[in-house]
Amino acid sequence: MKDKKNTEYLISLFLSIFASLIIGGFIMMANGRNPIVGYSSLINGAFGSKYNIATTLAKTVPLILTGLATSISFRSGIFNIGGEGQLYLGAFGAALIGITFVNLPAILGIPLAILFSAIAGGLYALLPAILKVKYRIDEVIVTIMLNTVAVLFTGYLVNYPFATDVGKLGATDIIADSYQLSRLVRLSTLNTSIFHVIVITIIMYYLLERTSIGYEIKMVGQNLNFSKYGGINVKGRMIFAMVVSGALCGIAGAFEVLGVHYRFLQHISPGYAWDGMLVALIVKNNPLGVVLMSIFFGALKTGSISMENATGIPSELISVIQSIIILFIAGEAGFKAKIKNYFAGKGRRKKVGEENA
Amino acid sequence: MAEKLIELKNISKQFPGVLANDNISLDIEKGEIHAIVGENGAGKSTLMKILYGLYQPTFGEIYIKGEAVKIKTPLDAIKLGIGMVHQHFMLVPSFTVAENIVLGVEPRKNMFFTNYNQAVKITEELSEEYGLRVDPHAKVESLSVGIQQRIEILKVLNKGADIIILDEPTAVLTPQETEELFKVIRSLVDKLGKTVIIITHKLQEVLALSDRVSVMRQGKMIGTLETKHANEQILAEMMVGREVLFEELKRKNIAKKEVLKVRDIKARDNRGLMALKGVSFNLHSGEILGIAGVEGNGQSELLEVLTGLRLAEEGSIIVNGVEAINKEPLEIRELGISHIPEDRLSTGLSRQATLTENMILGFHRKEPYAIKGIHLNRKKIRERADRLIQEYDIRTPSQDIIADNLSGGNMQKMVIAREFSFDSQILIIAQPTRGVDIGAIEFIHKEIVDKRNEGAAILLISADLDEIFRLSDRIITLYEGEITGEFLSKEITKNEIGLYMTGKEKALKEGGR
Repeated sequence: MKDKKNTEYLISLFLSIFASLIIGGFIMMANGRNPIVGYSSLINGAFGSKYNIATTLAKTVPLILTGLATSISFRSGIFNIGGEGQLYLGAFGAALIGITFVNLPAILGIPLAILFSAIAGGLYALLPAILKVKYRIDEVIVTIMLNTVAVLFTGYLVNYPFATDVGKLGATDIIADSYQLSRLVRLSTLNTSIFHVIVITIIMYYLLERTSIGYEIKMVGQNLNFSKYGGINVKGRMIFAMVVSGALCGIAGAFEVLGVHYRFLQHISPGYAWDGMLVALIVKNNPLGVVLMSIFFGALKTGSISMENATGIPSELISVIQSIIILFIAGEAGFKAKIKNYFAGKGRRKKVGEENA
Repeated sequence: MAEKLIELKNISKQFPGVLANDNISLDIEKGEIHAIVGENGAGKSTLMKILYGLYQPTFGEIYIKGEAVKIKTPLDAIKLGIGMVHQHFMLVPSFTVAENIVLGVEPRKNMFFTNYNQAVKITEELSEEYGLRVDPHAKVESLSVGIQQRIEILKVLNKGADIIILDEPTAVLTPQETEELFKVIRSLVDKLGKTVIIITHKLQEVLALSDRVSVMRQGKMIGTLETKHANEQILAEMMVGREVLFEELKRKNIAKKEVLKVRDIKARDNRGLMALKGVSFNLHSGEILGIAGVEGNGQSELLEVLTGLRLAEEGSIIVNGVEAINKEPLEIRELGISHIPEDRLSTGLSRQATLTENMILGFHRKEPYAIKGIHLNRKKIRERADRLIQEYDIRTPSQDIIADNLSGGNMQKMVIAREFSFDSQILIIAQPTRGVDIGAIEFIHKEIVDKRNEGAAILLISADLDEIFRLSDRIITLYEGEITGEFLSKEITKNEIGLYMTGKEKALKEGGR
């Protein structure tokens, strides 16, 4: 719902991004590089050609999914930090389907693989959710630890029972042809999963913003007592949010297998779930914000490589810029209060008062 | 009298986004009882915290006996003879009275150990000197609120205070304890020449006790008058800045029908102690039943059991013939019970949600607001919010403002609007006007009585005895988880009720009538 706060937040978000880009520029200058050259090669690298745009979008796919996963879980006040583990299990699940049912036609096989990965990720998130609502065991700790379990477990699976015959790759066999999503632009890994992601985003937006379930999830996350008092099934909503979150991470894994690598790899994710979490945090769990911010992050990633090639500025600078954005956003409330105070003339006040009255 | 003991000159205090004190000047004379009144958020406590060194003023000066002083910490204030009794007591519950009184200025046997006998002696001497009887050996946790307050006052006196600031001292007291406190304050001033500043929003108490009264509103000092020239009407108008009508609430006689039958409820509090030890009562349509009691005698637990937020160990709740004990909140709502919780901030609303979002709770799965119970119909939801904002006179620039930006009174109106719009037969209303400005209090009281006149059955729980008396048809008293009496409100006085509230009197129980 529209709100003055949202506009204010957008302004601070853009200011944060702008400021961190400027700071990034100073860092370039301190290293004796020209920031204008640096940034123009970055933009060029991200959007300069059809191939570059495709690469940017390809990097965006997993971010959107893990970002949405974070949004729904954080909105409901239960914190799924286990996206990485769910992603691994989902990816492995998709690969398993793809090497097992090799004769299925694409129209059955691909949905089956996606569904199976969603179930794998969802179930893996269900466990901490139940521990949380039944026994009040902190879900943050549990999900973090389950990440390691999933990564090592799938690592074992692809090195022993499901290892490919071609050599010691730490990977499964290649999935059957019918499972491989088609590439959209030559040489880039952008594939038809982007269309699936568009559909998923629309569904998630609808669910979170336009349905009573989305409303309940939001209220549960904002005020537990209020939700109980209002008759919301608080535990049910938390479990639901967690499972959907896990399923989305699982699907993110599936697309890495079906669309990018065509097999499960031992280190299939460079931390997509963590990046997705950053994305969701920056846009305060807004589903449309997740899409835009994911594209921005994807562009930074793609562009930074061209920047490094063209100017020698290390691509790690991008991590610095991302971190600075986070720092600014974290300080948002404080900055805003300072600015407001500065402009607050006499006689202008919202609420007056003894703050503990 | 006219010697100026304290002069506050042009004090301003800026908090982030809020100017809590705006250019305030105030003189306190030696040997007077000076009341500071104002609504919640008027800046009274802030001003006193500045005087006590808890806050630093953004601008302004403080003079004590004509000398400019800087009060940076409460220690400075104590050295200047200023003591403060806070609204929430600062006592160690597991310590004895004597230990609490000497806390911070303990007499010592040697470097490490407190001389307990000496502490007892100090306590006895103080108690003697000021005529405030206390048992030095009693543990504070076992004492009533009134006695605890007495200990707070002794603690302040022990530190040599000549000027005593009391912040909302009667908020948690029974009428008897209040009377007792006033006697103590009077004698401190008349016999011992102390000066007392009392912060309150209860006008009757101001008129009964003080010599002079200063009124604050929205961070500004509106004026100071001699109490003998003041009356409730004048003070109320100064507090809210417009005319306040204390209208008589019109009651209609309504055919009474039993709608809620509560029998022998037993439940534990959060610490696992028995908070309700068998509570029974009946509630009828067209009546307001007030539950009077000092806070912490089982009211919160009773509310929670009735609304499904806490499990009872035993008992039964019959709503129109249907058993409702230990049902889910949603089921209870569907039986026709609405609830205005005692703490609007923690339970009644979500501070980060907009008014619209706050007011749709409970309707968010119902037609026409949710098509097929799932697709939110934004248009209808917004129309409803607009209508309620109008009907309940909620002052807000828009329905898209988040609740946190509303004043206490408007937040409460929002909660009431939502709950009343369920058109439930039974309303359980707790602390409806706590922290609400006078204008809104009038409005809320009228809405409650209107609901009664329309035939709703209303259970009212309030720490404010005046409110209970003003609204209720019938009153029951709750003391330590038991009902100690039941009365028609026109047949009993506040003082009598006070005795039942503290368990000093107990009417024969017959398991409800």
